[in-house]
Amino acid sequence: MASHRGYEKALSMLRTLPRVSLYNVAPTPNFVKKSKRGRGQHGGDTHGAGNKGALARQSYTRTGFEMGNNPYYLRFPNEPYYIGQHLRRQYPPLSLGQLQLMIDTDRINPKKPIDLVQICNTGLYKINVSGLHYGVHLTDDGADNFKAKVNIEVQWASEPVIAAIERNGGTITTAFYDPRCLHALTKAKKFLESGEPIPKRMIPPEDAIKAYTDPKFRGYLADPDKISWERLVLAQKYGYTLPKIEEDPDHEMLTARKDPRQIFFGLEPGWVINLVDRIILKPTDPELKEYYKG
Amino acid sequence: MLRSLVLRALRPASCFQNVARFSTVTDTTAGEVNPVSFYGNEPKVVSRELEFPTNDGRARKAWVENLDSVAEKKLGMVDLHPHIFAITPRLDIIWQNTRWQMNYRKVNLTQVYSRAEVRGGGRKPWQQKGLGKARHGSIRSPIWYNGGIAHGPRAPTTKFYMLPIHTRLLGLRSTLSAKLAQDDLHIVNSLDIPTNDPGYLEELAEERKWGPAVLFVDDTDVAPENIAIAADSINHMNIMPVYGLNVYSMLKHDTLVLTLAALEKIEKQILFHTHRVDRAKQNEKFMTSSV
Repeated sequence: MASHRGYEKALSMLRTLPRVSLYNVAPTPNFVKKSKRGRGQHGGDTHGAGNKGALARQSYTRTGFEMGNNPYYLRFPNEPYYIGQHLRRQYPPLSLGQLQLMIDTDRINPKKPIDLVQICNTGLYKINVSGLHYGVHLTDDGADNFKAKVNIEVQWASEPVIAAIERNGGTITTAFYDPRCLHALTKAKKFLESGEPIPKRMIPPEDAIKAYTDPKFRGYLADPDKISWERLVLAQKYGYTLPKIEEDPDHEMLTARKDPRQIFFGLEPGWVINLVDRIILKPTDPELKEYYKG
Repeated sequence: MLRSLVLRALRPASCFQNVARFSTVTDTTAGEVNPVSFYGNEPKVVSRELEFPTNDGRARKAWVENLDSVAEKKLGMVDLHPHIFAITPRLDIIWQNTRWQMNYRKVNLTQVYSRAEVRGGGRKPWQQKGLGKARHGSIRSPIWYNGGIAHGPRAPTTKFYMLPIHTRLLGLRSTLSAKLAQDDLHIVNSLDIPTNDPGYLEELAEERKWGPAVLFVDDTDVAPENIAIAADSINHMNIMPVYGLNVYSMLKHDTLVLTLAALEKIEKQILFHTHRVDRAKQNEKFMTSSV
């Protein structure tokens, strides 16, 4: 039953070979490496390190040292491209192609609003909040083949990405989350099991306010009327007809938005979720209520 | 639904039938409602729908056999998942699995005396200078005859390591594929046998050209009484619950016999762990503290 398929060939070969047993299976050649230190004529003596000097004594000069010359790495003045880089907010990328693949392979349900929780729950998107990662940067790779109609909330998106999503009748929001909220969002189950109350979302830092209040950027703090206007402007700029989401059967899903203080869809800040008994504990103290409201 | 009906038909679970089983097979008219007729083992087409069917053109089927008579009767045919029973048999991965299974539980208890543990040697044997002899500080130094051993084995040294989960899964799938390809894998409807005589099992294996070493796998913790007693006195015939299935035991025994229920469970578990969403997390370094 020879076939061009490797597995068929291998399995048909096995039919005429002795039974696979403990005594005739073997590793691939050179799989087991023995670390040997040769003695005498078999690479012993100085073990290739020479007789005397720095190499024999492992007292090497430091990297970049040029024996009296001004070293290369000190020869030129500082070029401060990356000054403060370790303090800047990072947004690990996720492309539209990857998002489409996640939807096609049922990792993400496009019938519900997509936010950081859904993206992290796929297990395919890595984010390190303590490494100053502040969320998803949706990039335009695969924008031409993006066909899904989604309501997505990301932390950073460029103009072509916004156009690719709105062309399909979807909606996009860019939203800011502070690190404490990001910890809760990226490991949602672990956070809810911890028994801590859901934190309230902090307002963006000073240098991010401008972006998140910008209707062109679809910021979550922008005026909704201005966003409607910008949707139309963008459709004309990119030359597609804007689908009317008012007449869409999924209108309610597409227009679902979080409160600027809210971090989970359907859950309010201050609530404690008990996953075991499936109950929600809400704050009753007026002072607490006031805190979580404002 | 259909599958569960068929399974129920193949595995009538009651003990009084065991008594009637000696007079099986013959003369059951169609109209009779008699549970014994199930043991007539008339050929039935067993349709077994795969929970996750494939569309890559692969297919594997196996006969369902009986154990309640020495002579083999084919009760039907079932589909096997081709991603488990028809993959390229990676003999190197099988070897990795067997080595891991043999090694991870070993602890090396060999220990030799170091210079500190050998008796004596505290006193400087002779003065540093003036005798024309080599300098020595202890008569138990490693360069002395009867001295301690430098860098000798120290007990206990564990050989424990964890094989990555996907290597373990690939090992199971490779072994099952190899067993099926070499006609060493048999599917039976149940492990019920009519007698607890060990000779019956030996005769059955002889007749069907199984073994001599046979591993029976069922999905229950407690095997049926007859086969448990019969296999107990035969060292090379063993019964194992499905969660104990492993590469080493499959290779150690010549023939592997799975019940239909065990087959269901094996496919479900292997497919789940192979395609689970948190695969990346499973690949992280194994820490004993994380168990």
